Amino acid sequence: MVPDLEALQNGILYVIRILIPLLSIVVLARAFHSIKAGRRREEPVIVLQNTVTKEIVPVLYWENSLGRSRSCDIVLPDPTASRDHAVLMRRESGWIVTDTGSKAGTRVNGRSIKQPASVSPGDIITLGSTSLMLQRTSEAKLPQKVHRARHAASPFGLLLLVSVIQFFLLLEACFGGGEFSLLPVFPFVALQIMEWGLYAYSMRMLDHVSFELETIGFLLGGTGVLLLSGMRGSLPEGAEAPGMWAIFDSSLSTVYMQLLTMLFGIVVFSVLIWLMGDLDRVMKLRPWIAGAAILLFAVNLVFASATYGAGNWIKIGPISLQPSEFIKIAFVFVGASTLDRLQTKQNLTAFLAFTGVCLVSLFLMRDFGTACIFFVTFLFISFMRSGSIRTIVLAVAAAVFGAFLILQFRPYVLSRFQGWRHVWDYVNESQGYQQVRVLSYGASGGLFGMGIGNGMLGGGRSGNSVFAADSDLVFGMLWEELGLIMAIVVVCAIAMLVFCARSDATRSRSTFYSIAACAAAGSLLFQACLNVFGVVDVLPLTGVTLPFVSAGGSSMVSVWGMLAFIKAGDERTYAARRPKRKRR
Amino acid sequence: MKTTGTRSLILVLLTLAFVAGMALFLSEYVTDGGSWAIQPFNKHITQGQSLSGRVLDRNGTVLAYSDETGRIYHDDQTIRLAMLHTVGDTRGYISSSAQYLYRAELSGYNLITGLVSPFGKIKGSDVTLTLDANLCKTAYQALSGKKGAVIVYNYQTGEVLCEVSAPSFDPGAPPADLDTDETGKYDGVYLNNVLSSTYTPGSIFKIVTTAAAIEAIPELDSRTFTCEGSVIINGNQINCTGVHGQIDFKTALAHSCNVAFGELAVELGEDRMTEMANRLGFNSSYSVCGVTTAKSVYQVDSASDDELAWSGIGQFTDLANPMHMAILMSAIANDGVPTMPYFVSNITTSFGLPSGVGHGGKGERMLSTSTAERLQTYLRYNVSSYYGDSMFPAGMEVCAKTGTAEVGEGKAPTGWMVGFSANSATPYAFAIAVEEGSSGIGSAGSVASAVLSALAG
Repeated sequence: MVPDLEALQNGILYVIRILIPLLSIVVLARAFHSIKAGRRREEPVIVLQNTVTKEIVPVLYWENSLGRSRSCDIVLPDPTASRDHAVLMRRESGWIVTDTGSKAGTRVNGRSIKQPASVSPGDIITLGSTSLMLQRTSEAKLPQKVHRARHAASPFGLLLLVSVIQFFLLLEACFGGGEFSLLPVFPFVALQIMEWGLYAYSMRMLDHVSFELETIGFLLGGTGVLLLSGMRGSLPEGAEAPGMWAIFDSSLSTVYMQLLTMLFGIVVFSVLIWLMGDLDRVMKLRPWIAGAAILLFAVNLVFASATYGAGNWIKIGPISLQPSEFIKIAFVFVGASTLDRLQTKQNLTAFLAFTGVCLVSLFLMRDFGTACIFFVTFLFISFMRSGSIRTIVLAVAAAVFGAFLILQFRPYVLSRFQGWRHVWDYVNESQGYQQVRVLSYGASGGLFGMGIGNGMLGGGRSGNSVFAADSDLVFGMLWEELGLIMAIVVVCAIAMLVFCARSDATRSRSTFYSIAACAAAGSLLFQACLNVFGVVDVLPLTGVTLPFVSAGGSSMVSVWGMLAFIKAGDERTYAARRPKRKRR
Repeated sequence: MKTTGTRSLILVLLTLAFVAGMALFLSEYVTDGGSWAIQPFNKHITQGQSLSGRVLDRNGTVLAYSDETGRIYHDDQTIRLAMLHTVGDTRGYISSSAQYLYRAELSGYNLITGLVSPFGKIKGSDVTLTLDANLCKTAYQALSGKKGAVIVYNYQTGEVLCEVSAPSFDPGAPPADLDTDETGKYDGVYLNNVLSSTYTPGSIFKIVTTAAAIEAIPELDSRTFTCEGSVIINGNQINCTGVHGQIDFKTALAHSCNVAFGELAVELGEDRMTEMANRLGFNSSYSVCGVTTAKSVYQVDSASDDELAWSGIGQFTDLANPMHMAILMSAIANDGVPTMPYFVSNITTSFGLPSGVGHGGKGERMLSTSTAERLQTYLRYNVSSYYGDSMFPAGMEVCAKTGTAEVGEGKAPTGWMVGFSANSATPYAFAIAVEEGSSGIGSAGSVASAVLSALAG
């Protein structure tokens, strides 16, 4: 009866592999629905009343530009007003008005202002010859719209569902690979501690109301960790394979490292969320962050030990760091800006210079994949800041010219692209070796996969994996072992972060958050595209990691940092607090 | 903030690029996933068995399967020889065969589960053919060692019942000198003559000339033709098979009078002949279970009158593909619209998930209903008055045309017979070509007779 039992086990594991993507889709759908439901409606926060015409002007955003230009949030039909006259912002302390270099100047209650001035309901702001009185929405007697109540998904239930999915993944990892193993239990428990620990910290201690983005991060990260726990590192000479009941073994060191960096990533996430709580602090910190980033690149360039053809690593004892991953976070920080600064300092010179330094450093390290990500992130940020298509065209032209120069002086770079769209001509050469194995083993897995630990890319228990299977080729591993549907669900989850960032773009507390969130989400999706399309031969293989999933210490930290930007773009992160339980 | 919101639309470009990339990748996966999976370096396959599924005929007879020793073919050597070009060889050299076309599925691949067999070891799918192994054996034996092609299919459903190509070799015991031979005795063994070869059609092309004449000459049936054994056209003598004297059109066709048809082709002219040939599928190819057929050729651009006359009787540069001829027969039998043939009826995964493959479906209309009906009458008259119904099982009401195509180079002519049974109880269309046959009726006719008799049971 033994063969029947084995067939039954395989059958059950197969059914579980059908359930995993389905449940993941449920988690994602509910998380994104919940983010949408949690969004503030486009309703006036406060109103301005024209003192002459008595016309009521609704103020819709946390940061509002005022001026004659049609693109302003509050358009002043006044020839004496400047195109971009002033900015009216809400901060923790209250409403603030700032003159953004207008000709006629801005006055509050008759007094001309040079510095940002706080305004309260009843105060009169004069721009050119227009005078507006700040009023509470309740006083303005606006028609009340009746809204259907929108319910957000229970954050607890959503995270619990993620834990269930991870339990299923644990079963796959324990029973896969031909022999039972308890080794994946430790990573599973560690994941649960991190997930529920952050949940308790965020929801109970900080009284945050939302946990959707963290839940998505954990779903993706947990899938990566448990997928990798089906792999074994190659054994050192003479060492014995861990037994069935081993709990902890050095052959899983990649997974332990992944867990450690995930923990570090979560710490970075929490610190960034705290740090960005105060916009003044953020704006003051920006030059220091830019300086630190350049310094880090310099250190990297001087001390880098050239590894894997790109000298982008710093080794400190047993730990190797990839500074460019941390600089990605700094890059978004330096790029984003509040509305009043966008209005007064419209040129991008400083940011351009910073971008130039970053790109040159990356080229010197020959890290072209990361350079591409920086460049695209730069495009997003610069367009969102300036709205200038000319800048984008010039930047792209410069990039094409730069790429041309590189190919002229370093023709070997071209050989890396030789295999592109022709990988089947290079089945055993470096130009196509990895891609054809991803395609072949991936297709072998079909829609629901071979099961964790049964893949040939990762090598399962044998320890013979295809080079970079757990990092650059992790999409292939995901496809081969958990199936194409799960692999696509993972990538689509990253793509949906872009929708989150965009839908919060006008509702965040500042353009700083909006720009940072969009840039971060765009950069994550672009990185995912480079990774996935690189290994399936839609794009040339550049060797970047798949966000949240790939093994790769520093990148795990940076993706959680990027997630913090998207989280900060969500108005609820800072604005809303759960009602204190002790009150009632 | 409003402008920031608007400018965030730039991210939509990235999302669109993502969706486009995904769509490209997924479409490639759907079309090429099988060939991706069955690469020789794929350890999922090499650790199992590459071709592990079975190939069966329509009656469930196992034609090929695998065990620990390798690939095993049917016990009967004649069946192995007869089915080689449809079943395939172990090395996958015969590209029109099921073992080549469905090598991914036979290795255990399908789009849903990949190479995974949810309940156990990877095991290949079973490929069931529409062919009848014994019928193919009969056809192979009837060819009696000659090279050629035999195709019989059901013109109502599209199922191919018999497909035989000779020369052949035994896939169960490939000759030792198959790859090393330099005498040429294995020339063409890897080629499926039914799908991938073309032969000079000879008199069977008169069907095309007839179709053009029906549509261009209203009083065709009341015409008389005078045959004195040969005619000079443009200074070139066109010989006939005999001296037919004063004959009407249907007799001219039944007796395959070269004089009458040579003159008709000249009278119809280059344009009308070309137009009809193209409509009937010359100069284009068909797809049969993913195999592209060799193009039949009718090419008379700037041909002189005598060349045009020769083209009208299936000589000159004319070429015909046997499968195409069978499709043409199907069109005539179906009042102008052919049913497309297929030879794989279904593929069933080892765990029972069936994935239908073969479906005939209708092809594009080739002939108007009235022209098709006239052709039916003429072709029926050929058999009833000339070839003799006694050749075929009683009641089949076979409509047919023979051809004896001169190929030059001192070789004996290619014998053809194409036709169909007009009885809807036995809806078979066939095309038979025998290289270096004696005459159409003598070589191809006897194969047709043997195969249709076997079909009648």
